[in-house]
Amino acid sequence: MSVQWRVWLGGVLLAAVIAAALYFPALRRQVNKAKDLTEKTAEQARRELLPVAPPTTGEPKVKVKMLWGSRGEQAGLNPVIIELPLSNDPALRAKQILNTLLAGPVDAELRTLPPDAALLAFYILPDGTGVADFSDELRTSTPSGIQSEQLAVESIVRTLEANVPQVLRLKILIHGQEVDTLAGHVDLTQSFSVSAKDATGIKLEYPSPPPSILPAPLEKAVEKVRGVTRR
Amino acid sequence: MVLDPAHGGTDQGAHGTEGITESDELLQFAAATKKALEAQGFQVIQTREANDNPSFDDRSARANAQRGAVFITLHIASTGLAGTARVYVQPDASAPANITGLIPWDQAQLPFLSLSRKLGDQVQQELARRFKGSPETVQTAPVRQLRTTAAPAIAVEVSSVSVQNRAELENMVPGVADAIARGVAAFRPSYVLPSASVPGGSVQP
Repeated sequence: MSVQWRVWLGGVLLAAVIAAALYFPALRRQVNKAKDLTEKTAEQARRELLPVAPPTTGEPKVKVKMLWGSRGEQAGLNPVIIELPLSNDPALRAKQILNTLLAGPVDAELRTLPPDAALLAFYILPDGTGVADFSDELRTSTPSGIQSEQLAVESIVRTLEANVPQVLRLKILIHGQEVDTLAGHVDLTQSFSVSAKDATGIKLEYPSPPPSILPAPLEKAVEKVRGVTRR
Repeated sequence: MVLDPAHGGTDQGAHGTEGITESDELLQFAAATKKALEAQGFQVIQTREANDNPSFDDRSARANAQRGAVFITLHIASTGLAGTARVYVQPDASAPANITGLIPWDQAQLPFLSLSRKLGDQVQQELARRFKGSPETVQTAPVRQLRTTAAPAIAVEVSSVSVQNRAELENMVPGVADAIARGVAAFRPSYVLPSASVPGGSVQP
C-alpha cells in the first residue's frame, strides 16, 4: 500500500471516530428520552386515563374559603377567601376546590398538603359520603407526625365543609385503596364528619357495632355474670 | 401502665437533622418515663424495648389484656415549635353510644374517651409547666394507635426531630418523663372502669 493510500485511509478512520464521538451522546439522549416516555408508573398511566376536568372559564366566579396553614408558634389553619370559577355540580366543585388546596397559597410555607400530591378522583355517594382519592405522594410526602398529618386532613375536611354542603362525611383513599394511616399516625380507616355545625376539631364516624355473635340465651347469661362481677 | 415507643424496625418514623430518627430516640424517652412511673409506684410494661415494630393491634393488645391499664404512646414530630410537647386523645365520635357487652375491636377506645381526656389534661398541664409554648389543654386527633385501645389512652408528641442539635431533643427526656409520671399519678384517683368494660377480656377482636 502506497503512502498516499495510507494517509487517505487514516484520514477516513479519523473522520469516522470524530463523527461517532459527536453522534453517540446525541443517540444516548434520544434512547433515554424514549425510555422515560415508555416507563410510566401505574399511577401516571392512571392519571392520564382520568377524564380531563372541563374548562372552568365559562363558569361564574364565586368566593371560596380555603383553609391553609397559619403563621405563629402553634400550628393551625387560617381561612383565606379567594375567587374561583366553580361548577354547580357538587363533585366537580369539590374537585376544583381540592385541586386549589393542593396548589397551595401564594406563601408556600403555609401549605398544608405536599406539592407533589395529586387528586386522582372525587365522587359523592348517595348517602352524602365524599370519596377523595389522592396519589401516593399524599402519604409519602406529608411530614410524619400527629400534628402535621392532622393539619393536612383537617385542611381538606374544613375546606370541603366551607364550600360543598352536599358532602356530609369524607373518606380519604390513597391510590384507590383504604390505608391504615396518612403517614404513620392519623387514622384513615374511618370517615371524617364534614358538618358546618361542627367547626372545632375532627370528628370520626364509626359504623354501627356488629350484632353479638352469641345466641340470645348465652348473651343473657353473659350479661348476668357481668352484673354479678360488677357488684 | 403500658408505654408504647411508636414505630421501630423498618419504620423509623420521622427523620430529622443529624441522622435523628424518631424510633431510636423514643427508646430513650420510654426508658426514662418507665423509671419515673415506677418511682410513683406503677407497674410498667413496654410494647417494644428494642428496634422491632409490633403492629398497631399487637401494641393495643398489651393494654387490652390487662384490667385497669393506662396506655401512653410516645411520638416525636417532624414539625412544631422545638422544645414543646402536646398530648392527643381520640376525638368524640358520632358513634352509637349504647355499646353493651363485648366492645368491637375497632371501637375499643369509645367507652374510655372521657377517662382519656381526663388523663390527657393532667399530663398536658404538667408538660405545659415544663415546656414553654406547649398548649395548656389536651388536643384531639384521630390517632390510629389509640382507636383499638380499651383503656384510658393518650399520645404524647414532642417537637421535633428537626432540631439543630440532637442534645436539644435529649434535654427534654427527663422533663417529659417526670411530667407523664406526675400526670398519671394525679389521674389515678379518678380512674373508675366504665361499665362497658367487660371483666377478663373486654375486647372482641
